[in-house]
Amino acid sequence: MTALAAPASWRQLGLMVQWQTRRQVRNLPLFLLIQLLIPVATIVGFGLLIGHPDRATALYLVTGAPVIALISVGLVATPQFVGQARAEGSLDWMRTLPVPREVFLLADLVVWTVIALPGVVFGLVVGALRFDVELAPVWWVVPVALAVSLTAAAVGYAIACVMSPVVAQLMSQVLVFVVLLFTPISFPADRMPQWAQETHAWLPIEPMAQVIRAGLAPGDFTVPGRSWVVLAAWCAASVLAARWALRRRG
Amino acid sequence: MDEVLQVRGLHKKFGRGSRTVHANAGVDLDVGAGQVVGLLGHNGAGKSTLVNQVVGLLRPDAGTIMLAGTDAVAHPDDARRLVSVQAQANVPITGLTPRTAIELVGRIRGGQTDAVRTRTAHLIEALDLGEWAGTPAEKVSGGVARLTAFAMAAVAPGRLVVLDEPTNDVDPVRRRLLWRQIRALADDGAGVLLVTHNVREAERVVDRLVVLDRGVVLADDTPAALTQSRSGTLTLEVDLVPAGPPPWPVALVVTDHGQGRATAEVPVDEAAAVVAWAGEALAAGQIERYALTPASLEDVYIALVEPEAVP
Repeated sequence: MTALAAPASWRQLGLMVQWQTRRQVRNLPLFLLIQLLIPVATIVGFGLLIGHPDRATALYLVTGAPVIALISVGLVATPQFVGQARAEGSLDWMRTLPVPREVFLLADLVVWTVIALPGVVFGLVVGALRFDVELAPVWWVVPVALAVSLTAAAVGYAIACVMSPVVAQLMSQVLVFVVLLFTPISFPADRMPQWAQETHAWLPIEPMAQVIRAGLAPGDFTVPGRSWVVLAAWCAASVLAARWALRRRG
Repeated sequence: MDEVLQVRGLHKKFGRGSRTVHANAGVDLDVGAGQVVGLLGHNGAGKSTLVNQVVGLLRPDAGTIMLAGTDAVAHPDDARRLVSVQAQANVPITGLTPRTAIELVGRIRGGQTDAVRTRTAHLIEALDLGEWAGTPAEKVSGGVARLTAFAMAAVAPGRLVVLDEPTNDVDPVRRRLLWRQIRALADDGAGVLLVTHNVREAERVVDRLVVLDRGVVLADDTPAALTQSRSGTLTLEVDLVPAGPPPWPVALVVTDHGQGRATAEVPVDEAAAVVAWAGEALAAGQIERYALTPASLEDVYIALVEPEAVP
């Protein structure tokens, strides 16, 4: 008997995606439904709060919805599922498989991004119709959306690996509220108090919203150079943190 | 001997100050290619801590772990290719069928699709799992889930296969099939490290037994050599009648006196006299049943870890 050769990582990625998808197959319709509802609820719900928004406000609502969908998958769904896998013991066993740690992260990212995708597109269509705004998406919104997804999922992964499952779940619940109401995703940052604006200047969420917004409505929005830098730094740091958390040995 | 696992001076502590637990306090352990090595010990003896260090989930405080010549502590990624593991708790595979789960793990471990499919079919057949191979995992019994977990570790086995309590929840008929497959893994060249409480059954399969207690190795030898020390004694088991214990002959040392059952040590040269006494006691209705057996590995194990329980 000889030691098995190192399997190709891309092949393992496909197999891991298959494993994770099949394990969730019974819940998939529900996840898809929720991911369809989140952006629609954001658009319709904020629309109710605001009444008849002007064009700028409407654009914020419509372009903010996909950001909320992508972030909620990464920051909320990922910690919950990783926490569950930890609690039931499957995460530790999976970690004994000869799979590069990055592949675990990527496989989950692929599964959750695919689950979030229909909601993102549906939310944009509903928003454009509801508020009668025209979007002009540019090609780079796709890789940028993936980077946003990756950053959020990596942060979620690190939270779930480092904190106890209960704390991670609570943390993710709190994050939903913070992301929905207290971050400048669906409204301009200048409506927030000064200290909150300064805090958000260092957090990844506002840059995430800015890049998606500019990618969907390039005629109306631009991205400050600083935001690209902040987002890139968070993306790199969060992936490194998730990688560290997965490689950690007690 | 071609060693696939070589553990030297392994130390691992948990907690701090007065609550420090020395889970492994200087463990040495070898598993050779083609060998099944049984790892016995109480709950909390340090078995899982040892295993988790071998598979790279825990980092040792001190000591070395060599896996087929690779330093497993320094290179956990390389080590993972050399080990396959059946965990103590069943890995939930909800949403998958046993067959799909086994095949996917085989391919994730680097097996070629066709070879994995053939090997999976072989394991399903050999463990008599055919009836459930296509049933969603949430609908199969604990025993079938356990056998599936074994097959997941055996489908593309590493140079070392670690099995943690593989027979739990498995019915007696399939347990025999399982022992045969464990033996087959070793016969095909893997080293098998078998963590178990089931001393009686393991005795027939293992080449060597390592007894771990409170983080240290108490014994490491073949089953025959381990029982050798007690070859001069036999064990008498007596089922008592409700009226109470019979008048014991003087030569007997009753070691255990539980509910309706007593166990006694019998020196070999007293065996004939004891059988004669037991026959009379049985005829007189003073005892329900008796059996005289050679000292088992279980007796040896208990004598090692609880010397105060044995005269």
